[in-house]
Formats: sequence, structure tokens, C-alpha cells
Amino acid sequence: MTELVLAHLYPAEMNIYGDTGNVIVLRKRAEWRGIGMRIDPVGVGDTYDFTSADIVFSGGGQDRSQEDVADDLQRRSDDIHAAVADGTVFLTVCGTYQLFGRRFVTHDHTEMPGIGVFAAETVAGDVRMIGNIVVESEWGRLVGFENHSGRTFLDEGQQHLGSVVKGYGNNERREGEGAVTANAFGTYLHGSLLPKNPALADEMLGRALARRGLDARLESLDDSSEQRAAAAAADRP
Amino acid sequence: MFRLLFAMFLGRSAGRLSRLFGRGGSAIPGLIAEKIDPRVIEKLASTIGQGVVVVTGTNGKTTTTKMLVRVLESAGHSVVTNPTGSNLARGVATTLMETASWRGRVVADLAVFEIDEAAVRKVGPRLSPRLLVVTNLARDQLDRFGELATTAGHIRVAVEVSETVVLNADDPMVTALGDGRDPGSVRLFAAVGEIRAGMPSDSNLYADGRGRVDSPAADVLLERVVSTGDGQEITLRLPAGERLDVTLQVPGAYNGYNAAAAALAALILDVEPGAIPAALESMPPAFGRGQVVEFSGKRVKILLVKNPAGFNQVIRLLAGADPGPVLVAINDLDADGRDVSWLWDARVEDLDQSGHAFGTSGIRAADMALRLKYAGIDSWSDTDLKAALDRAVAAAGPGATVHIVPTYTAMMRLLEILNPGRSAREVWT
Repeated sequence: MTELVLAHLYPAEMNIYGDTGNVIVLRKRAEWRGIGMRIDPVGVGDTYDFTSADIVFSGGGQDRSQEDVADDLQRRSDDIHAAVADGTVFLTVCGTYQLFGRRFVTHDHTEMPGIGVFAAETVAGDVRMIGNIVVESEWGRLVGFENHSGRTFLDEGQQHLGSVVKGYGNNERREGEGAVTANAFGTYLHGSLLPKNPALADEMLGRALARRGLDARLESLDDSSEQRAAAAAADRP
Repeated sequence: MFRLLFAMFLGRSAGRLSRLFGRGGSAIPGLIAEKIDPRVIEKLASTIGQGVVVVTGTNGKTTTTKMLVRVLESAGHSVVTNPTGSNLARGVATTLMETASWRGRVVADLAVFEIDEAAVRKVGPRLSPRLLVVTNLARDQLDRFGELATTAGHIRVAVEVSETVVLNADDPMVTALGDGRDPGSVRLFAAVGEIRAGMPSDSNLYADGRGRVDSPAADVLLERVVSTGDGQEITLRLPAGERLDVTLQVPGAYNGYNAAAAALAALILDVEPGAIPAALESMPPAFGRGQVVEFSGKRVKILLVKNPAGFNQVIRLLAGADPGPVLVAINDLDADGRDVSWLWDARVEDLDQSGHAFGTSGIRAADMALRLKYAGIDSWSDTDLKAALDRAVAAAGPGATVHIVPTYTAMMRLLEILNPGRSAREVWT
């Protein structure tokens, strides 16, 4: 049986908004197609070679946790860039998404350096952007919940994940949501993201299989429960 | 003095008017009185001879408060306490006014107040607590409370103005609140090994707490928890090594923790250990906290969920219950928390061998159905709570218990539908 490897980066530190749901969904949707999935938790200080993972996931955390992981992430920068170049699939949410940009400028104007996978910068803001969010993307309509005060601005030429239909996305100007570089995805959508957006989950599984040179076509599943949950969330404030 | 009495007069009058027009009004008297005399809480609280106890934390503060009041009353104290849900400044002001004489003195020798964990920053210092009890800290409605470190910061302000603090030694964030204090003023409650995994703290969400060592310094230790149908038997070890066996009417290891906290607080307030078990045993479960209500000839048990740590407690209870219908009702109104992502933090997978028949309801029934699906559990859905309740109850065999797991506003709606009668109408939030 084919087995994919998912590295869950900072599961203890970056887990505040139900982001673990993304890992549950990727594993289940793989299993339902007869593909196994091994989960490797990677914590602060652990040694890990990211090119050995097919998918890397990391979620959102509280401010203090984000500071804790920022230093650790710096030490992994070269490894992670090598894995991105190698086609490893990354999904980074909220706090980790911000640190995958070049830098995060906090309220007191200190700078938390990121690793620059995305050509983006985040600046702390005073307005908390909270609520259900709907995004139009290449992979269909995405529905989630956002809760952040950091405002992320992408450089000219950096691809967005999608355009905002409802909610804020990267910043209060509603200039777009998230970022995509090669197989690396960054987003503010939690709630969790993948349970209500199975097409995006399958896109990630397909890219992970393709990188291994395997058949990336996935048999379709009955996603009516997923669609009902997405529709219910999209209607809520 | 005149200002206080005038504030009390206007506040009480407003309260009577409000009730006359059929509105509840537990907040209104306090709200009005505080406008006239902003120091109404300070002035009235200072008249309570043996001082004020404040109970705060994420989960369990209502139960702990009720338990402590029962123990203190059984020991002969007259105790003033706030009704459930009135745990902000105005609720405290109202409670104090309602129990005060017309001369502005509270007619009680002790007060036990449950205070919201965000409001305790401001209300705590106004009450100059003799004792502050912190039950636990867990992520809860992040769209309302913000980060957990912020909540800990609120509580720390109250810790600093309290004479003695009673802290949960098994919750690292709570234990840290005692750092830097005179050790004699920090008293701890804890549980042994296995039971620790049943404690609703944030650190238990991604590690079950079994790895940590027992807290040898704990003043009161929860040594044993054995479920008995709707309730449980527990054993508490006291500072002198004495052991108390208690049969609680309320289920769940987390209520064992609440009993340990209440027992420790009572001991610090000079209650004789022998008076504690009977008082704890007399406490009935409230609606939403395991109370059994009769409906269409079936037993219906309501277990409120507010956050993932609390949901995990309910999941442990359900995993050990006899198979029957379970209805999970998730709303996403402000009082529930608009963000339902916490459903993914709960260990729903632990229910896949439970044998229960699951249904989902509430505004976000579809989200719960999806969570169950990814835990390998089938369910039916009906967003209409009344229809869903009827369906779940109809599916229950003779003698079976229907478990209903609602969020806060869904529970309030259930209260209307089930109408458990006046004596059982006490709702704990």
C-alpha cells in the first residue's frame, strides 16, 4: 500500500484554532482511497528532514507560541526552502503563514523575521478581523473562519490563494486571501480549512502523489456532508 | 453612606420595575446602583465579617462555587453567593444589594462569588478576596476571550490582591499564578495519575497529562474516582493524611477536581473535615450538568459543552455510558462562540466504539455531522432542535438514557422545550 508522510510542524505550539482538523482530513481522504498516511510530529528543537515528507502542515498559535517557534523556524529555513523547491506540499495557517513570509512587524515595531517562502510581509494591526470568510479560488469556493489582527501584504507578482467574497483575508483592504508558491499554500482560513474544502484537500493529496511519480488521479468521494457544512458556514456572520 | 443608600434604593426600585414588566433583571439593579455610587461593591463587600471568596477559571467555577456554599452553610455559616450566570460586576453588585439591610450592611458572614475569568481583573480587586480559587485554564471562545495568556493575565491581577490562593497543581498555567508569592499563601489541589487525564485544562488537549508526575505538594489530592450510574464515588486525601470518601450526585472526573477545590477552600475557612462529605453529597446536578429530566416517558440527560477541554470531559462520560441516542446541538451565536473550529480539537474519535446512535442539530448541525464523519461515526441531522429532540427520544429503548450535548444557546432552547419544572429550573452556565 502506498504510504504518504505528513509532517505536522509544531503540533503543541501552533494548534489554537482547530487546525488539527486539516491533518485528520488529509489522512482520512487518503485512507478512503487506499493510501496510508504516516504523521510525523515535529516540535521545537527536533531534527527533521523536510524533503522526506510529502506534505508539511503547520497551524496558527497564540502570540507567545509564535515567538517561540519563530527562532526554531529560522534554523530550518534552508531545509524548508529546499523542500519547497523539491515540490513538497506545504499548508501553513495563520501564525505559521505569517512566518512563511519575510517578516512580521509587531505592535512595538520589533521585527520577527520569517523565512520568506512567500514574498509577503505582515504588520500588526489594531482591528481584529473575525468571522466566517468566503474566498473564490482556482480550487473552487473556499469557506472558513478567520481571526487575526496581523495584516499581510503580498509583493507584486506573489500569487494569492484566492479573492475575497466575504470577510477580510490578508488585510482589511480585502486585496486577496492567502498566498501560493509552487506547492506551498498559506492562508488565514481555519475552522478548520480542509474539512469544508475537500477539493483543496484532494489537490494537496494529488500534488503529493505526483511528486512521488505516482498516479495523482483520486477516485471521487461523496462530499455532500462537506458541502452542507460549507454552505452553513458561508451563510453565517 | 448616603450615596450608597441612595444607589441601593434606585437600583432596587429599577429591579422591581424590571420584574414587573416581565424582564429578569439580575443585572439592572447593580447596573443602576453602580452609576450612582461606583464604589457600591467595595462598600458592601467590606461589611462581610469573615470575608469574600472568589472562584474563577474556564471550566467548573459554577459547580465549585455551589459545592463550597453548601459546605459552608452546613458548617453553620450564612453565605451570600451570586446566582449562576450573574458573574460580572453588575451581577455581584445586585447580589450584594439584595442581601444588604437598609443600613447598607450585608447580612451574611461569608460571601462566595463566581467571577467570569475576564471580569476578575477588575472585580477581583474590588472585593479584596480572603481566598481566590482558580479551577483551570483552557481555550474558550477565542473570538470573545482572545488568547489564553491574556486570560491568565486577568486572573493574575486578582491573585495579587488575594490573601490566600487555591490553585490547581495539575494545570501548569494555573500553578504558575502562584509564582513569586509567599508559599504559605498558596494552597494546591491535584489528582493522582490516571485521573489527571480527565482534567479540563488546555495542556491536556494535546497531551493527556498522564506523563506528568503526581503533585506531592498538593494539600488536597483526588485519589479515587469510580463512576456509579448517574454519579460517582470519590476519595479526597486531606493535608493531615486523613481521607474523605464522598458519593457525588454529579458525574465526571472533572467534578472530582471541583470537589477537591471546594474541600480545600472549606478547610482553609476552618470547616471541620467531617462536615464536608455530607454537604458535597447533597448537591444535585443542575440542568445542563448531568441532571436527568423526564420527557415523553424517557430519561433525558443534558451535558453542556462550551470549549474543547469541556467537550473532552463529556466525551469521556459518553464513552463509558450504556449505548443509546446521543444528540449534539451546536449553535454559533455570540454566547456560544461564533467560531466552531473547536469541534476539531475534541477527541471525537474516542466515541467510535461507544455504540451510541448519533444525531446532530443546531445552527451548525452540519459542522458536527462532518466532525463525526471524519471520526468514522455516522449520524443523522435536523437543524430544528425540537424535531431533533423528538427523533432522538423516539429512538430510545425502554430504560435507556438520551444524552443531549448542547452549546449554551441550544441548552437555553432545550430548557424551554423540556420545561423540567420550577424546582429543577436552575441553569448553570
